[in-house]
Amino acid sequence: MLALILKRLLTAIPVLLVVATLTFFLMRMVPGGPFDADKNLPPAIVANLNAKYQLDKPLAQQYVIYLSRLAKGDLGISYKYVNRTVIDILSEAMPVSLQLGFTALLLAVIIGVPLGTLAAVKRGTWLDVTAMFLSTAGISVPGFVIGAFLIFIFGIWLKVLPVALWESPWHMILPAFTLAFSPAAYLARLTRASVLEILEKDWVRTARSKGLSHWSTVIKHTLRNALVPVVTVLGPLTAILITGSFVVEYLYAIPGMGRFFVTAVTNRDYDLIMGTTLIFAALLIVTNAIVDVAYQILDPRMKVEG
Amino acid sequence: MFTGDYVHFQNPQTGQALAEVNPNSVRNFSIFFGMSQSSFLKAAATVVFSAAILISATACGGTAAGYEPDTFRINLQAEPPSLDWQTSTDSTSFDVVSNLMTGLTQYNNDMKCEPGCAEKWEILDGGKHFVFHLRKNARWNDGKAVTAHDFEYAWKRLLDPATAASYAFFLYDIENAYEYNSGKIKDADLVGVKALDDWTFSVKLKRPAAYFLYLTAFCPTCPLRKDIIDKFGDRWTEPQNIVTNGPFMITLWKHEYKIELSANPHFFEGPPRLKKIKMFMIPEQATAFGLFENNQLDYIDNRSFPTADVERFRSSPLYRSLPLLRCSYIGFNVKKKPFDDKRVRKAFSMALDRTLFPKILRRGESPANTWIPPALAGYSEDSKSEFNPEAARKLLAEAGYPEGKGFPLTKVLYPQREDAKLVVESVQEQIKKNLNVKLQLEVNEWKVYLDILHRDPPQMFRQTWGADYPDPETFMNVFTSRNGNNYTRWSNAEFDDLIDKASAEQDQKKRAAMYARGDKMLCQQEVPIIPIYWATQNTMVKPWVKEIGFNAMDLQFFRKVYIEKPN
Repeated sequence: MLALILKRLLTAIPVLLVVATLTFFLMRMVPGGPFDADKNLPPAIVANLNAKYQLDKPLAQQYVIYLSRLAKGDLGISYKYVNRTVIDILSEAMPVSLQLGFTALLLAVIIGVPLGTLAAVKRGTWLDVTAMFLSTAGISVPGFVIGAFLIFIFGIWLKVLPVALWESPWHMILPAFTLAFSPAAYLARLTRASVLEILEKDWVRTARSKGLSHWSTVIKHTLRNALVPVVTVLGPLTAILITGSFVVEYLYAIPGMGRFFVTAVTNRDYDLIMGTTLIFAALLIVTNAIVDVAYQILDPRMKVEG
Repeated sequence: MFTGDYVHFQNPQTGQALAEVNPNSVRNFSIFFGMSQSSFLKAAATVVFSAAILISATACGGTAAGYEPDTFRINLQAEPPSLDWQTSTDSTSFDVVSNLMTGLTQYNNDMKCEPGCAEKWEILDGGKHFVFHLRKNARWNDGKAVTAHDFEYAWKRLLDPATAASYAFFLYDIENAYEYNSGKIKDADLVGVKALDDWTFSVKLKRPAAYFLYLTAFCPTCPLRKDIIDKFGDRWTEPQNIVTNGPFMITLWKHEYKIELSANPHFFEGPPRLKKIKMFMIPEQATAFGLFENNQLDYIDNRSFPTADVERFRSSPLYRSLPLLRCSYIGFNVKKKPFDDKRVRKAFSMALDRTLFPKILRRGESPANTWIPPALAGYSEDSKSEFNPEAARKLLAEAGYPEGKGFPLTKVLYPQREDAKLVVESVQEQIKKNLNVKLQLEVNEWKVYLDILHRDPPQMFRQTWGADYPDPETFMNVFTSRNGNNYTRWSNAEFDDLIDKASAEQDQKKRAAMYARGDKMLCQQEVPIIPIYWATQNTMVKPWVKEIGFNAMDLQFFRKVYIEKPN
């Protein structure tokens, strides 16, 4: 298992290099630059800005400079937020996104997996129909609609939860549910399909014929096997949730890093675009490696070929 | 739900059993989660208990109600890109800096320059030499005196190419300022700014500039402490390092979330009555408005005011609005056909009914028929462009396009914003209706739009301009041939000369007449642009907030604000 983890980490280096290279050149191909503003600046000022941020050098040289800084762990500086490094920005925003993302992930699993299991076990009943209706709604209704709805009901109408901001644990409840809604729905559908498939397997029939109770069969013999596809999606899902959501952060005024995936691009904040992309890529690699390890724990027969 | 060792799931309405979990199942769950049976039950009980506490606590009301004593809560909407007032260029940063810093002069809410750090000044040599006499009781928040050396250092730093300050060009009227900023000379001492002693600051201009005094109230020209910048380098703006000389000082900066200011005990006018200002960064208008409704914000403006709510609350006693010095216009690239013919440009201008735009935009805008806003000198009824579709059609026919026949394909560029979209759609509809000319709309993401404007402006585009200082110069200079913001490519020697002379003219009456003449050239005679509307600031203020002022530049000064306990 250790060898597997090590191998995954080693292959991460070329992957990150490809991601960095592609992102670097793609973002420079997009028209507009970091200093294009509503008010056009005199050429002398633009020249000073370009010199300060080394944008006056040839693109290939800028790429080499970026990579050499990256090798030293320096993610560069923000062009938009003067005097702040990318590491400053992300290290302040990431703990917030981690906190919110993990809470949402936990909620999604706690709601989604039991809901899907229940729907599968009670297939065709009103429970199944209701669960699947909810999960279809969860997948198809956009986050900002759900968020606005929750804010209106609990924040403005009932006044039992804060409308927005990030001041106390209470302020996390509505955004966490908003963020969890869609993944919970997705997990419910996935779990249902997977549990239904496993319920048809021979070993489940055997367990039942041995006289094991219905729920005992579901929990002991079905769910554990049915969770393999669920765990597969949990990898990328974790990476997505813990890097924040633009919509949820925007709606609830949460200082997480989700916003930078959008604003860094609209601001042409080159180093910040690189930073967010590389962090996301690295997290995807790490979470997928964890998923591979989880496979072996869930089902020892699944020896992952590193 | 828990009965003995059994857990029953019931339909709450019918009471019908949905599922029954026997002890075996509990054991199975506990095996699944890798716990002993008793630990599992304890964990489950903890979760249920915590949930119960959570629900009961929130039901008691987790939200604050009413005002916060001596605290003023507002929404900045976004993170200020910089609190270094020399590298700031945006209104968000200036809203913070305006309350932290005082320059040589400061604006009042009528947009007149009042004494700031300078208690008086002399204008010598026909307007080319300014001598500022500093008050001796102006203090930084660490107690040190604000001296003329702090201004000399600040202005030279603003012009230093290494600072790369976007707004350095505001000082280009000063002797050798442009030369130093563009690297043509290296010696900062050649720049025409000098501290004659601790309390006297001298500024020499290349030529008279009648608007120059306004620049001394502008955030980028505020003083700086060399010792602080030398000590903290790039980190000097962080709350624990920064020193300021204005009514407030910064005590907290939680990036992308909140800034807190507290009263500066050393402020030369005496500490403000407000003890604290909380500036949140809530990007979504509707969320900020919800917080205002829940008494968690004391003041909102356009940044927090959804259009639907502006209409809903227009008659509320809490609502106030004010026209701003910001104009939206349609520009023509006069180098591109068919707009190289001024008859076509005039026809388009006369075919647009400006009164329709405020009805479409619904935020209290005012129709603009001149480029100089009514609040500024140089505004004249005589410069107005008129709505006259009949005359417009005649002009278009004279230009060779009777009833719009043969008119070339015309593109209108606009940025991806709802207001811009509504404006260009209305222009498209009106031009079709009044001139029988079809316009093709082209939308682009903001930076792509700017890139196109900078490189190769299309035949028509929608753009805006906001005043940098409350003087007609800031509007009229835009369309001189040397200005980088003149995307129309219109170049007129007579206009350039007129604006140059007006900017140097010391007689305010003569000056206003010159600008009025220039405005007439823009709106009636040459028509490189069609002014569309002036923006309006829509605000709501809680009744416990007193002495809040508004101004046409949309600058937020809170030094006189205080909170009065509601009855």
